Amino acid sequence: MSPIDRTPPRLDRLRIPPVALAAGFAALAGAALILVSGHDPLSAYAEIVRGSLSPESLPDTLAWATPLVGMTLAAALPLRGGMVNLGGDGQLVIGGLVAALAPLVLAGPGPFGAAAGLALAALGGGLYAALAAWGEVRHGVPMLISSLLLSYPAVGVTSYLARFPLRDVATGLPQTLMVPLDARLPVLTGALNAGSLLIAAIALAVVVFDRRTSAGYELRMRGKNARFAGYGGVRLGRQAVGTMFASGAIAGLVGATLVLGSQFRFIDGALLTPAYTWSGLMAALLVGGEPVGAILAALFFAALQTGGFAMQRETSVPRVLTLVLQAIVILFLAMRQGIGRRT
Amino acid sequence: MPEIAAAGIVKRYGGLVANDGVTLSAERGEIHGVMGENGAGKTTLMNILFGMQAPDAGEIRLRGAAVRFRSQIDAMAAGLGMVHQSFKLFGSLTAWENIVYGAEPRRGPFVDRRAARARVAGLAARHRLAVDPDARVGDLSVGVRQRIEILKALHRDARILILDEPTAVLTPPERDALFEVLKSLAAEGRTVLLVTHKLHEATAITDRVTILRDGRTVATLRTADTGAAEIVRAMTGRSVNLEVRKRPRAPGVPLLRAIDVTIASPSGRPAVDRVSLTVRGGEIVGIAGVAGNGQSELVEALVGLRKPDHGRVELCGRDVTDADVPARRAAGLAYIPEDRAAVGSAPSASAADNLAMGFHRAPPLARGLFVDPAAFAAWALALIRRYAIRIANERVAVGTLSGGNLQKIVVARELAHEAPALIAEQPTRGLDVGATETIHERLVAERDSGRAVLLVSAELGEILALSDRVLVMFEGRILADLPQERADEQSVGLLMAGRGTEPG
Ligand SMILES: Nc1ncnc2c1ncn2[C@@H]1O[C@H](COP(=O)(O)OP(=O)(O)OP(=O)(O)O)[C@@H](O)[C@H]1O
Ligand SMILES: [Mg+2]
Repeated sequence: MSPIDRTPPRLDRLRIPPVALAAGFAALAGAALILVSGHDPLSAYAEIVRGSLSPESLPDTLAWATPLVGMTLAAALPLRGGMVNLGGDGQLVIGGLVAALAPLVLAGPGPFGAAAGLALAALGGGLYAALAAWGEVRHGVPMLISSLLLSYPAVGVTSYLARFPLRDVATGLPQTLMVPLDARLPVLTGALNAGSLLIAAIALAVVVFDRRTSAGYELRMRGKNARFAGYGGVRLGRQAVGTMFASGAIAGLVGATLVLGSQFRFIDGALLTPAYTWSGLMAALLVGGEPVGAILAALFFAALQTGGFAMQRETSVPRVLTLVLQAIVILFLAMRQGIGRRT
Repeated sequence: MPEIAAAGIVKRYGGLVANDGVTLSAERGEIHGVMGENGAGKTTLMNILFGMQAPDAGEIRLRGAAVRFRSQIDAMAAGLGMVHQSFKLFGSLTAWENIVYGAEPRRGPFVDRRAARARVAGLAARHRLAVDPDARVGDLSVGVRQRIEILKALHRDARILILDEPTAVLTPPERDALFEVLKSLAAEGRTVLLVTHKLHEATAITDRVTILRDGRTVATLRTADTGAAEIVRAMTGRSVNLEVRKRPRAPGVPLLRAIDVTIASPSGRPAVDRVSLTVRGGEIVGIAGVAGNGQSELVEALVGLRKPDHGRVELCGRDVTDADVPARRAAGLAYIPEDRAAVGSAPSASAADNLAMGFHRAPPLARGLFVDPAAFAAWALALIRRYAIRIANERVAVGTLSGGNLQKIVVARELAHEAPALIAEQPTRGLDVGATETIHERLVAERDSGRAVLLVSAELGEILALSDRVLVMFEGRILADLPQERADEQSVGLLMAGRGTEPG
């Protein structure tokens, strides 16, 4: 007999993406909750959808999604190779501070300042993350620990700098001087600025890297079996440092786009309060670091957030419902992964 | 009435039919062999009998009564025990803890440790299964772990014991000891189902053999009236040439050399003790030895996965002692590792991804920095065809393949490198006779095309059949270097046990 069976695996093709399936289940459970609380689930959901996806609100959703997608990518990339970057917060604030200072310090026209800010933020975040990988490769400090531990001094030092030496004394707040007008990222529409385009380009690059490059293949194989990758000729140490550099660079860029695109200065705590790092890590973990799934999960969470505000405004269903929905989605996906892990 | 009988068992995985109406029946007190080519469905059938998988159709009868196991817990309660192809033990627990786990003698709510230990020690003594109840399982050799698996079944007083390729990982003395145990278990009235690829084992110890092909039962033969050739014909539908034919050797330049390699071990005596060896182009050098005498460590040092404490390694005339794995591969080394699942493959990745490793940076699989998925698929399909790997398509995760087919994936990929030097560690472990024949032919073809082949195998027969020179390794040292003409089962066997008169 022929060992090859060429019938296409129809089930594989038709399989509903797990994120969509989980969202469906969450929607049903949420509807039950809304009914029990005496409201109309259909109108509540309609408001979530309108409040996140209608032409007027879509820019808000995308603006909110931009840093979240960015931090999701920063988490997904190492996860793809079985590594975890817990230091996103540190890399994020380093990027933010560097981007806030570059246009002020460097002489030259504004757009140059912005470009330099972005590039240096990526470099700073990248090098800082690479330090954690280097610690593991050279000295055997587990990256899970070192990346997290390195985060604290970065957060502390940037906070100190914003409070004392670099503080804008004209305001009473712990924040740096404003970035000059011409060094800010151009606005596209409403809340949306060119930073979103940058993150979208990075998202595309990560997806292409993952699916279509030799290095992406090597990273995926490492994630599936690091001993196999090493035996097959992948230089694991170099790969760990490179991957963490890229991850940290993305985190740094997220900080830079927030500073140059919407906050226009480094404000102590402002980058960390929304907890992008952890939401992004969650979105990435749900799909084992698979970039497309991670991006979709991040977009979905962002839409729920903005939609939730609209729902609370228009109907009297409280916004926490969207957090419940999000929790159900996460739980459902995590369960699925635990039972039949397949990527 | 048969002790255990299966009728019309069907099991499908997607489009692949692993069991297609299998029948099997074994009597009380019988050692019943189960044979068949890789992927014939033996493990699937055993898993179904043991309740680990539900059949899509068919019936299992125990002493005449139909049973339906929902899990292996049901099966164990009904008196079945199983020793898996890959063991399922807790490495951090002791032997006795593993054995009684799930069926602990209790005193009140607590495990009665004293009673448990005593029972384990008693069972071990009665069945002459040498196991130290207090040893940590992670530290034990595969042979001892297997005895623990058997004790685990006996602790639950299993009347039917299923062993899936138990001898693949055993040394010859361990295998003989296992067979003694199995015989005495059968004499007590227990039933043994023994999956094996080795003809001489089947003929030596079984009463009858059931033969599967492509998921169907093709024959049940009484061993006493059957020869090896007949079994092979039933398994493969053709006759297989078990002899290896080789051209006279024409050794060329040294391609792989170890010079004075020493590797310390935590236990004091070096794992590898001043080993020097040379493999020339056009020859197969075999390393014979009981597993655990330093072969694995030596191979790791040769391929760059471990740095020797002393000594040098040369590849194609270049000193590669300080080179890492990719550098050595680039310098001309291919390697079939002993552990196909932990090292040689990524089980959760597709066959296409597994077969691409090492070829993924150059055309045709890659163009510049980019890979070409269509080329990945074409490459994988070509290798799958060439080695007749039984797999639905190239997108299937290789972890779902039968043991033998996974081994073929590893071998196919490494031979495709056409590297000047090849290290093959247990290359036919778990392979059926046909596949073994194919791989032997390939190794000889490598040699005939001028490559250097270093063969490490626990199968003495394989070493003697293939090697132009035989090195015998014992306690980290090479005791002898024999040309093929002077290497025979007896002299090499003695040397493997550390006795022998050959100068080193
Ligand atoms: N979980 C699974 N998913 C998909 N296919 C599977 C799965 N388990 C087994 N198969 C397929 O079923 C077939 C029979 O496999 P099985 O492990 O029973 O073979 P086997 O006779 O034990 O072979 P070997 O001698 O190589 O161990 C193989 O083609 C295998 O790829
Ligand atoms: Mg099997």
